[in-house]
Amino acid sequence: MPYTVLSHTADTGIEAMADTFPDLLCDLATGMFGLMGSPEPCASDDLIEIGVESASHEDLVVDVLSDLLYHSEVEDLFLCWFEIQATGPTSIQITARGVANGGVELTGPPIKAVTYHDLAVRQTDEGWYGRVYFDV
Amino acid sequence: MNPIEGLGAFPLPDSLPSEQTRGMKVKRISDVIWDIPQEGPMLVPGRVFASDALIESVLKDRATDQVANVAQLRGIVEASYAMPDIHWGYGFPIGGVAATTVEDGVVSPGGVGFDICCGVRLLASRFTEADFNARRDMIMAELDRRIPRGIGKGGLAPAGLIMDVLHRGAAAALANGYGWEGDLERCEEQGMSTGAAPSVVSDKAVTRGKAQIGSLGAGNHFLEVQVVDEIHDSAAAEAFGLAPGMVVVMIHCGSRGLGHQTCTDQLRLMGDAMHRYGITVPDRQLACVPVRSQEGEQYLGAMAAASNFAWANRHILAHEARRAFASAFGTTPRTTGMDLVYDVAHNLAKIETHEVGGRPTSLCVHRKGATRAFGPGHPDLPPDLRLVGQPVLVPGSMGTASWVLRGEVNNRVFASAAHGAGRVMSRKKAKGKQSGGEVRLQLEDAGISVRPGSVGLLSEEAPYAYKDVDAVVDVCDRAGLAAKVARLRPVGVVKG
Repeated sequence: MPYTVLSHTADTGIEAMADTFPDLLCDLATGMFGLMGSPEPCASDDLIEIGVESASHEDLVVDVLSDLLYHSEVEDLFLCWFEIQATGPTSIQITARGVANGGVELTGPPIKAVTYHDLAVRQTDEGWYGRVYFDV
Repeated sequence: MNPIEGLGAFPLPDSLPSEQTRGMKVKRISDVIWDIPQEGPMLVPGRVFASDALIESVLKDRATDQVANVAQLRGIVEASYAMPDIHWGYGFPIGGVAATTVEDGVVSPGGVGFDICCGVRLLASRFTEADFNARRDMIMAELDRRIPRGIGKGGLAPAGLIMDVLHRGAAAALANGYGWEGDLERCEEQGMSTGAAPSVVSDKAVTRGKAQIGSLGAGNHFLEVQVVDEIHDSAAAEAFGLAPGMVVVMIHCGSRGLGHQTCTDQLRLMGDAMHRYGITVPDRQLACVPVRSQEGEQYLGAMAAASNFAWANRHILAHEARRAFASAFGTTPRTTGMDLVYDVAHNLAKIETHEVGGRPTSLCVHRKGATRAFGPGHPDLPPDLRLVGQPVLVPGSMGTASWVLRGEVNNRVFASAAHGAGRVMSRKKAKGKQSGGEVRLQLEDAGISVRPGSVGLLSEEAPYAYKDVDAVVDVCDRAGLAAKVARLRPVGVVKG
């Protein structure tokens, strides 16, 4: 797993470390959906493509993950594959692939939203670190 | 560090991921009240309602840090309060109550949460436990088939109802054939929050809401069939329409994706705006703006519209439960006797008038995982409840009791009480303890029929993941927050 699940009394969180910021976003997106289920294989032609621009790296993490939750719900897709490219200092382009929600066996409770609580995104000597908690 | 004066040490576990845990000290005030002394940037002290046994679990996570953080909100009065079911949340603790002055205080979406107007609804019935047992499988099958739950799309009501729902909540559901007269009088706010501004609810939120009107969701949301097991206050129980041995139905859910999106949208706007007002907060999830500001009014309008979705959502689900029972008994919904006992929210910010320093003061009361609990005589209660006080619904964990309490006149926490048992164990740990299948078997062995959306998720909501609801309710009773009326025992659970 490219992420670690963090303990929380009521909700849940993840942290990840990656070489680049887009890779970190990719790991956090994988982790967010991985908390709910892991459809294998993630074989589908259903794609979504979105662009997001935010004021900071922290905001971008919350905005991207929130947008993915939105698209997952309204397009009824459980997203399970992500490709993320930087298009500016704090803007990115995402391509995500998903399978129908109804066909996924949930292994964790659905995530309601992405919180700012204890949010951390920083560049370290080892790469990019991110931590985010979700309301479930 | 000794976090409890007079109780011995309860060191915080090393495993907490926090970078901010301060390990607040608490000081005993009475057998059920503990204070967090005001210090540093706190504007008021913290006050936690808990027994000796409950305070130990409170100090094991970061909940008291969050009580202290809330105490820094501009315009907060008296104290940052925590109900006996308090636990670590995001921004506010779950079980947090904070009142800020409308005149110069702030409103914070973190004091409401993403699931705006999440709450509980209780229906009475004319059935006994023997009636239920005689048709148990049929009733549970009807509920299983009829109640939409899980992730994504799927609601009982048509998408075209959405704007009417945002404008007038449960009244929109009633006008479209869900429920019957008398229902609205038994809802907090008559099931319609004042000041709703559907025009400021985003297109994204409306899109999410359209497909989910009348749906349960998942996680800790449920529909439970219960039996009135004990009566502690006969007069209040009678006024509420409850009798010993009666089968009742409890529904716990909220505003679904519409509410989640509304909070997400408003937090984003508020995070930008609060800097213009020179406001800083110790946790970004506590982003806030003055109540009397354009952004504050916009949030309250959007929140009220989202809360209308939640009132209508529970209303429609409740009526479907009536239909399920009617179908199982071969009768009509009307003859099930499934009248509404009450519907309460436990995630809302409301403008209310309370005495502060001996003077009536207009306050923005944030209840995040806390229930409004008006005492006898309150003018906002319907005439048939005014003598005994507002019903306060406290669901337990899956497999344990739930409670009906009543508001008390002498409640000193802006008429607030607990909202549930309160988690004590992380989902990760709960999941590692038993499988969902094992939890289901144990519940079935205990006489509780379970219809889960996903068997695998049952372990996260297992009884051992929660505090003892009887202990939580006992503190409410002893602290004068709300008085015991009836204890409810589960016999059937429909989980998301």
